[in-house]
Amino acid sequence: MNIRKTRKKRIDIADSGALSDLAFLLIVFFIVIAVFNINKGFILELPKKDSQKIVNIDDIMKVWIAADGSISANGESLDMEELERRTKDMIALRPNATFLLHIHPDAEYQDVVDIIDMVRLTEVENFSFAMKDGGAQQ
Amino acid sequence: MNLTKKARRKPIIPINSMSDIAFLLLIFIMLISLINYRKEIKIEYPEAVMQESVNADANLELWITRDGDIFHEGALITARTAEGIIAGEIAENPSLRIHILADRHTPYRHINTIMETLQILQHRVVSLVVKENV
Repeated sequence: MNIRKTRKKRIDIADSGALSDLAFLLIVFFIVIAVFNINKGFILELPKKDSQKIVNIDDIMKVWIAADGSISANGESLDMEELERRTKDMIALRPNATFLLHIHPDAEYQDVVDIIDMVRLTEVENFSFAMKDGGAQQ
Repeated sequence: MNLTKKARRKPIIPINSMSDIAFLLLIFIMLISLINYRKEIKIEYPEAVMQESVNADANLELWITRDGDIFHEGALITARTAEGIIAGEIAENPSLRIHILADRHTPYRHINTIMETLQILQHRVVSLVVKENV
């Protein structure tokens, strides 16, 4: 019987094109990684230091965040849903209303972010915030 | 005179060099990503529903941990040093955007320190970075 030994074909990695595919996949990976560095959040414009603005007292909604994260408005304790409802009512009644937020120095950052988030959602145009000692007692 | 006409060869694009080009591009992008390398500080990001992209052409990130430690480019700095860094960077690029990346449990007084610094420097636009919604 005549059995012919088949010659094994040598595979050239560079010729196969696999390397370029691999390299392009890595490029895509690095581009995607670069996109992850984009920050998401809020852009706030801070007032001038010691600046004052004359506002009608009826147009102000004063909100306090205490050290434990509890919220109060005009001396009354509220939860976030109630505060949102009241803010919406205020804006519907007085579109130029000012939302004045007083933050206790020990209040957690997340509590402040929650209020800013709510203010953005309710589309309050005039929003002001400052750190105040004493919380709702003032 | 005996002139023989040379047969024209068909132009061929060498495919083998494609991988070389791809690897050069890869090295280039790796170097660029190293330049943009962000030194992350371990914080628990605050969460928010409403969020927008806050990156500008020029950005400066200040990280604040829950203990009130301030970090810039991975290095622990004092509030006074932060003021110096912000002032220097703003002098170079007035349209610089300052990003505050603070832990959600950080007492607000630590964030207020940076806010006050920005007000003193009359650079009043600040970005508060939150956890990205998936």
